[in-house]
Amino acid sequence: MHLILVGLSHKTAPVEIRERLTFPAHRQAEALTLLTRYDMVAEAVIVSTCNRTEVYAVVTGEDAGVEAVLDFMTTYHDLDKHDLVRYLYIIRGEAVIRHLFRVVASLDSMVLGEAQILGQVKEAYDHAFDNGASGRAFNKLFRQSFEVGKRVRTETEIGENAVSISYAAVELAKKVFDTLDGRTVLILGAGKMSELTAKHLVSNGVKAVLVANRTYERAEELACRFCGEAIRYDALFERMSEADIVISSTAATHYVITREQVAATMKGRGGRPLFMIDIAVPRDIEPAVNELSSVFLYDIDDLNGVVESNLEERMREARRAEAIIDEEIESFIGWLESMQVVPTVAAIRAKAEAIRQAEIEKALKRLGGLSEKELKTVDALTCAIVNKMLHGPTARLKQAAGSKEGLVVVETARALYGLEDSEERSGYGSLRNLLNMRAREIAGDRKKEMGDSVGC
Amino acid sequence: MAPLAVIAFWFATALYAAATVLYAYFFLSKRPTYSWYATFLTGAGFLCHTASIGLRSIAEDGTRLDGPNTLILLAWALVLVYFVFEHLIKLKVYGVALVPVSLVLMTVAQLLAVTGRGGPLDSPLVENWKVGIHVALIMFAYAGYLIGGIAAVAYRIQEAQLKSHRTTVVFRRLPSLGSIDAFARRAIAFAHPAFSAGLLLGILRAIETDPPGWWADPRVMLAGAVWLVFTVYLVGRYRESISARAAALVALGGVGLVIVLAIIARTVPAGFHVFGV
Repeated sequence: MHLILVGLSHKTAPVEIRERLTFPAHRQAEALTLLTRYDMVAEAVIVSTCNRTEVYAVVTGEDAGVEAVLDFMTTYHDLDKHDLVRYLYIIRGEAVIRHLFRVVASLDSMVLGEAQILGQVKEAYDHAFDNGASGRAFNKLFRQSFEVGKRVRTETEIGENAVSISYAAVELAKKVFDTLDGRTVLILGAGKMSELTAKHLVSNGVKAVLVANRTYERAEELACRFCGEAIRYDALFERMSEADIVISSTAATHYVITREQVAATMKGRGGRPLFMIDIAVPRDIEPAVNELSSVFLYDIDDLNGVVESNLEERMREARRAEAIIDEEIESFIGWLESMQVVPTVAAIRAKAEAIRQAEIEKALKRLGGLSEKELKTVDALTCAIVNKMLHGPTARLKQAAGSKEGLVVVETARALYGLEDSEERSGYGSLRNLLNMRAREIAGDRKKEMGDSVGC
Repeated sequence: MAPLAVIAFWFATALYAAATVLYAYFFLSKRPTYSWYATFLTGAGFLCHTASIGLRSIAEDGTRLDGPNTLILLAWALVLVYFVFEHLIKLKVYGVALVPVSLVLMTVAQLLAVTGRGGPLDSPLVENWKVGIHVALIMFAYAGYLIGGIAAVAYRIQEAQLKSHRTTVVFRRLPSLGSIDAFARRAIAFAHPAFSAGLLLGILRAIETDPPGWWADPRVMLAGAVWLVFTVYLVGRYRESISARAAALVALGGVGLVIVLAIIARTVPAGFHVFGV
């Protein structure tokens, strides 16, 4: 049994190639059926998103398996193999495990830490499972990969801290107001960026949207999109006292909001904070506004600074995620090795030998005073029985291990002979495990997913 | 009983110290697992702390109200009030500041006990139920005020970070300004009625016993000042006549007075209120 991966991603292929090699959900069943028809392909999962197409397979021979997957990809999409191969990466063995874990942890994503990929891989696995294309190895591998994804999201902050300007503005607003529910946003100027930011604010609970623009009709148009209210430009400062958040993005070449005007607006607000986002270049809001009490002003450079700092933070978190991945790889390899035929046969023999020794000891106590020759005879007899009993099963086990169902046969043998996985044993460290599990549960409950959508 | 009380006290101190380290690690790494362990250790410390207070009270046939012991009671009240607020608000980050404060109070109490300052009180004025309730109420009020004060410090730090557009680790860890302000307001709103009731009981007891010039005692006057500052805070916040920033400053001023009243004045064995004889 060998693990292989053949695929391409945003790192290796342009969109013109990626879009030709997709396996949409409605065609997955058909594709998986075709792929598993190849003799050497025992199990397969096809991950297909807008940024990557990857075929994971358990094959009986590495090179032949890779050839089979390549043949499937080119035949299925009617592509030229030599053209395609330039954009592909082929990964074998343990590296496949690492790659998959990195993918679900979104360390390989275009936007580091984005949350969608975990769901997309889950969906791909579900297709394989429903169509009988995943077996014992992939059931274990993919389920463990989902645990990796969850661990990375709960134990690191890779998905936190916005990495786009508009989300950064929302995040900063949440640092001022805690919740945006019921807040009022005032948009000054009807630019695309202010519209996008307002959209994020509204989706985060902002209740009322006020739009002011030199051209009243444009203000009405934008207000309509948010079920908001267009206001006359000359009533701007009067209505600003209602707002909690101001987004300014006009084409003016001078400051349209000055310190004095904001200071006047702040009177009678009862100390209610005002968060101002100036995304216009040249700037619309006089920087001295930030000196006023309870007023927080961020311009485009400030927001960029926040995004850069957040990106650096995600990179730092990615290093912690790699450590989690290392731990999980070790655990999976441990399981995989236990599923190999040689250690299984050795474990069966060791168990049989232990039973034989114990039974001989008991029998000798009962018989008592046997001569050296009699002892040797009893020993040889029991050895012969054990060997003859085990010879057939171990030979057939070795033979079956090379087939498509090898892992199932090995696992069945382990179950029949009672060779349990170490992780299922209880005893020492179970209290620690229980405490860790509880702590992890709590961490999981508290965690919120904040990853930027990549819209796939 | 007394040796057991001492052992429980040291266990509590050690557990608070371990929780402080774990909270600090949680704050820097933001691994929720550590906050869970820190809360677990704080809870265990609190149980030891409670046992220590109970055992000492049994051993001494009543709870002593001298300087070191009131600090131990204050540390206990602080952890209890923190747990109540943590349960209501679900923000572990406050433990980062509050558990170390309890640890400091325990340590100061021990130092005072060792140096013999704020020694045992034998005044008959103390032997009255009103004084017991007065002390309990004042301890809970101080705990609430301290929590409010720590929130006010957090507010000032977070506000400065937002104003300067810095996104440091402190900025990421601290909650929003709105949440910190609400937390401070709730803590002070909880503490103030307790403090008012405690003061009233104290005044009643003073009127009953009528020591000469009791109202001019520095600590009594300071307590009046604390009451006034936090009344201004609450009225200002609920009538929205002062900003959250100004309120944080008022709360800090009030907590400054509480520290003088609760800790520094305890070390001065003179005047009516410390029952100097």
